[in-house]
Amino acid sequence: MKRIIIDREKCDGCLNCNIACISAHEEGSNFYTVNLQSPDAETRNFIKFDVGKGYLPIFCRHCDEPECVLSCMSGALEKDPVSGHVQYDENKCAACYMCVMNCPFGVLKPDKKNRTKVIKCDFCDDKPDGPSCVKACPKQAIVVKEVNL
Amino acid sequence: MNSNFSCKTCASADKKLETFISNLSVDTSHHRMEGQSIKCGFGLQGICCRLCSNGPCRITPDGPKGVCGATADTIVARNFLRAVSAGSGCYIHIVENTALLLKKTAANKGAIKGKIALAKLAEIFEVNETDEHVCAEKIADLVLADLYKPDYIKMELVEKMAYKPRFDRWKELGILPGGAKSEVFAGVVKTSTNLNSDPVDMYLNCLKLGISTGLYGLTLTNLLNDVMLGEPSIRLAPVGLRVIDTDYINIMITGHQHSMFAYLQERLIQEDVIEKAKAVGAKGFKLVGCTCVGQDLQLRGEHYKDVFNGHAGNNFTSEAILATGAIDAVLSEFNCTLPGIEPICDELKIKQICLDDVSKKANAEMKPFVFEEKESQSNEIIASVIEAYQARRGVVALNLDAEHGNDDTLTGVSEGSLKSFLGGTWKPLIDLIVKGEIKGIAGVVGCSSLTAGGHDVLTVNLVKELIAKDILVLSAGCSSGGLENVGLMSPQAASLAGPKLRAVCESLGIPPVLNFGPCLAIGRLELVATELAEAIGVDLPQLPLVLSAPQWLEEQALADGAFGLALGLPLHLGLPPFVTGSSVAVQVFTQDMLNLTGGQLIIDDNAQSAAQTLDSIIEKKRQELNI
Amino acid sequence: MKIVIIGASAAGISAAKTIKVSEPETEVVIISKEDSVHSRCMLHKFLGHQRDAKGISFIADDFFETAGITWLNNTTVISLDPDKKTVTTHDNQTISYDKLLIATGAAYFIPPIPGLRESKNVYGFRDLNDAKLLDRECQTAKNAVVIGAGLVGMDAAVALLERGLNVTVIEMTKDVMSLQLDHQAARAYQQLFEEAGAEFILEDKVVSVDVNDVGRGTTIHLASGKAVPADVIVIAAGVRPAFNFTQGSGIKTNHAILVGDDLKTNLKDIYAAGDVTGIAGIWPNAMKQGRVAAINMLGEKLLYEDRYALKNTVNFYGLTTLSLGNINPEPEENCEILIREDRHNYQKVVLKNGIVLGVIMQGDIGGTGFWQYLIKNKIDISGKNKDVFSLSFADFYDLDQQTGEYKYAV
Ligand SMILES: Cc1cc2nc3c(=O)[nH]c(=O)nc-3n(C[C@H](O)[C@H](O)[C@H](O)COP(=O)(O)OP(=O)(O)OC[C@H]3O[C@@H](n4cnc5c(N)ncnc54)[C@H](O)[C@@H]3O)c2cc1C
Ligand code: SF4
Ligand code: SF4
Ligand code: SF4
Ligand code: SF4
Repeated sequence: MKRIIIDREKCDGCLNCNIACISAHEEGSNFYTVNLQSPDAETRNFIKFDVGKGYLPIFCRHCDEPECVLSCMSGALEKDPVSGHVQYDENKCAACYMCVMNCPFGVLKPDKKNRTKVIKCDFCDDKPDGPSCVKACPKQAIVVKEVNL
Repeated sequence: MNSNFSCKTCASADKKLETFISNLSVDTSHHRMEGQSIKCGFGLQGICCRLCSNGPCRITPDGPKGVCGATADTIVARNFLRAVSAGSGCYIHIVENTALLLKKTAANKGAIKGKIALAKLAEIFEVNETDEHVCAEKIADLVLADLYKPDYIKMELVEKMAYKPRFDRWKELGILPGGAKSEVFAGVVKTSTNLNSDPVDMYLNCLKLGISTGLYGLTLTNLLNDVMLGEPSIRLAPVGLRVIDTDYINIMITGHQHSMFAYLQERLIQEDVIEKAKAVGAKGFKLVGCTCVGQDLQLRGEHYKDVFNGHAGNNFTSEAILATGAIDAVLSEFNCTLPGIEPICDELKIKQICLDDVSKKANAEMKPFVFEEKESQSNEIIASVIEAYQARRGVVALNLDAEHGNDDTLTGVSEGSLKSFLGGTWKPLIDLIVKGEIKGIAGVVGCSSLTAGGHDVLTVNLVKELIAKDILVLSAGCSSGGLENVGLMSPQAASLAGPKLRAVCESLGIPPVLNFGPCLAIGRLELVATELAEAIGVDLPQLPLVLSAPQWLEEQALADGAFGLALGLPLHLGLPPFVTGSSVAVQVFTQDMLNLTGGQLIIDDNAQSAAQTLDSIIEKKRQELNI
Repeated sequence: MKIVIIGASAAGISAAKTIKVSEPETEVVIISKEDSVHSRCMLHKFLGHQRDAKGISFIADDFFETAGITWLNNTTVISLDPDKKTVTTHDNQTISYDKLLIATGAAYFIPPIPGLRESKNVYGFRDLNDAKLLDRECQTAKNAVVIGAGLVGMDAAVALLERGLNVTVIEMTKDVMSLQLDHQAARAYQQLFEEAGAEFILEDKVVSVDVNDVGRGTTIHLASGKAVPADVIVIAAGVRPAFNFTQGSGIKTNHAILVGDDLKTNLKDIYAAGDVTGIAGIWPNAMKQGRVAAINMLGEKLLYEDRYALKNTVNFYGLTTLSLGNINPEPEENCEILIREDRHNYQKVVLKNGIVLGVIMQGDIGGTGFWQYLIKNKIDISGKNKDVFSLSFADFYDLDQQTGEYKYAV
């Protein structure tokens, strides 16, 4: 399975990964035009800061045993048996947010605008040129690697 | 954006240059582009603020305002006005030095080579002096007096220089500039912490800075230089790396202040100095043109045949020129003197001397130009260049490219030389436009950048599209450096033009892209436009004339752009000037400006569609003029 | 091997999936008394007409075929013979198994109140059938009464409001959802429901129901003396694990089927998972138990350690709340209670000796998943030297260098 591997020492907190993620989910947008002030602008990855440790990138791990999938009562969250990525189907989701409660790493969140869906990393739909965040990281703090399940 | 370049160096419109650079063993901007290919999204949108210690604040979905409460609109406007102020400051610095030099030259009864320019200025400024030195000094004094006014006292020459309908509109909008230096100061103050937060007010301020930059920094710098250095005259000249002649001691010049070299360039061709060169095995000295000051020399090259070998390249060609190994010294007085030349100079033992501390390079010798000491300074410079020549020639490997560039670039085009080429009147050009033989005019100006596809890529592609649509292109700035090296300024480029423009060019023996030289010459384009408008009897926004700075690079270009918008012209940029994070900015620049000045910003990094947009604007203006 | 699973819901389906993924050749038979597989947690969406029956399914249409699972729907198991290793169904089928999983969940319970059990218009809100019956009532009813303001009662109420009925909710305790919320958090929801037209009668008790001559309850009488008119009544006063059919099998039970950490019952080859074990009454735990039981049935050892059940999320009218652990401690427990409030949030953390016992996060619940880990694992946060409300996973951040998965640094 492909996973975004994090080297937190390299992260500079520039938030380009946030912008890339928002842009990847705003149809037709690019770094110049992505509307960061739109109510729909939501990043699926997060950068936290700790005085002692520095910047801490929080990205969905597409876990081997995803707690979010186990908690999902609508079938909206499923681990794709081929890609290994945990995919989310907005149309199935009941917005119960058991998954938000159950992701041990605090990756999931309700959508800001209506609280009718979950904001979750979709690995940029497994598009061939890879995740947008990874491409946008100037520090290579996040890179895609193949990991064994 | 996040374009990843496949090869190590970035693309160039000039394929020979691209190959030359990709084979270099020294590091250039073209190499560094890859390492910088990932851009900060907040920076690109202009929504990062570092004005106070609560920052840097960035506009994000979770942080829609800065700590102080500044919105994206305020942050973008502040950043933009700061940039325009800085850009204006650069050009005003140039005109100030030029005026001071003219004043001293005149006071010391120095040579006045541009009699026509002097007469023209005297007429505009209403100076009635028969003695040309007295006249020149008075002109310089008038310019300086304006530059040094406070911001609350309007500059007096604006009304004399500006086209009347424009002046009236500016007055209505309240954007007539006060003293040009003070206006820069005001722009900086306004944009500091917790001061102005009104984006519209700040954009109007940009227009004001645009006017002072354009009329003084651009137009007047040209004319004052013409007085001292001689007017441009049309001729064919060699360009590209081929102009470097290893038989000579070669000095590359970078900057924008041609008049600072006036004495030195005379001195370099005097017998005793040539003898010194011969004594160390060279035939003499040559200046190798680079960046805008090189363009300036090329423009007036008719007067400097012996010392000037030609223009080798623009801003992002400078590292390649040095990497030939055949340059012995770099003399710089302003931008665009890239920090990237420093390690190359160190490695290739190239002597670096700066004549103006604003462009002091870390490893260069500082020799601030002092008019009164120009004789001794020149001798010292010559001595140290000879020293460098001796130390490096034969030691440093040469890596020339005699194929690069061409020998027949048409240069020396100016408002004056073009008019006399047309027979002393604009009528032939106007007739061609009215008849549709020339559909319209596009001023393609500005710099080269390594974004938007690579070095000169968008500029060259856009120009090819425009001339194919029978639009005559006038170019000024580093854009012309790229255009000339790819041959678009050679008469045979006519074959690339649309059938009508091609026929015009072939019958006149001119290329479809006319070289006005340095970015300062954007001021000359303004003069051409104004004279055309006057001849037809319309205001500037009505002309079938568009501007484009496809690969604008720096703050100066933004100040130029503000001038273009103040003139009421449609202005195309390849990439947005870090404003797209603000909806107000986008609205003001792309829509509201039409009602304010008649100008309009068009952002498009696609040569084809941008050319189409510009073409349709020209068509529309033609219709409105009933031609 | 043949594995029989009774129950086609969270626990049963997750067990079947786990078995088929790791041992596709194992024969799996699922028996369920319902004719569809659906998520009870979405019943209100069905009743509220936001989704049809298919829309509340949590599996793919072709789940059974693709997975190669036999599904006996509309089939109720009525007895179990652990010696012969068979179960018998209401239609007299005898089905043998090598291993059996009991995942029959829970069933609602109607308290013995005069008139209540007798009324024909009293419904539970447990499965699709209940919802369908209620749906039919909604076509004519005007006044609905929901007895019990727990999560299920509130689900029913929100759907009935959606259908335009006058809804009265009767609750014994002084707050709605009193297991999950404290007074302040509960008030926020009550207000939203009231704005949507609901009426709440709190701290009151149903004492009797008037039944009319066609057997329908018409008026509900309360301990306070109040009388509430009702066209339809929903009872949401609690559920009981459903294991009637095991009578006489010798299986050990208290109020639920008793299981060890491997989810095995006292009987050979018989396991139980989900609500029927009484460990927890929520979906994620049923899913996980199904998975763990399956792994044990396949002969591997995996212990179910997630007995932690006091957790829930609530989302009504766009107001979201996370509730974990002991959120309403008694004074004698000597807990430290921290509260943080702003325009959009109400947050409460219950601490004892540096250990988090409970949290309520109302408002923004994004990224709050880490709290469960802290509470479940009794992590001491006193060393963090940080405002508890600003804690996040970042404060426990660690990475497995090999796999790139996160770990807790504690
Ligand atoms: C209205 C409502 C809303 C809820 N909302 C939430 C929520 O938001 N979040 C949450 O975590 N939990 C929620 N729950 C609880 C959650 O639905 C249960 O915890 C979960 O369904 C338990 O799953 P289970 O597999 O153990 O049993 P159940 O879901 O109860 O399934 C039992 C299965 O066994 C079958 N069965 C029972 N007896 C027999 C028999 N004798 N013979 C054959 N088949 C039989 C049934 O047909 C059914 O398929 C809600 C419950 C209800 C009723
Ligand atoms: S992979 Fe795509 S969806 Fe996931 S965090 Fe990165 S940009 Fe966002
Ligand atoms: S959301 Fe959380 S639990 Fe689910 S896969 Fe991502 S990291 Fe794992
Ligand atoms: S919120 Fe949606 S995705 Fe998350 S558990 Fe509930 S139904 Fe599944
Ligand atoms: S883009 Fe890379 S360096 Fe920047 S915040 Fe994200 S992970 Fe860190």
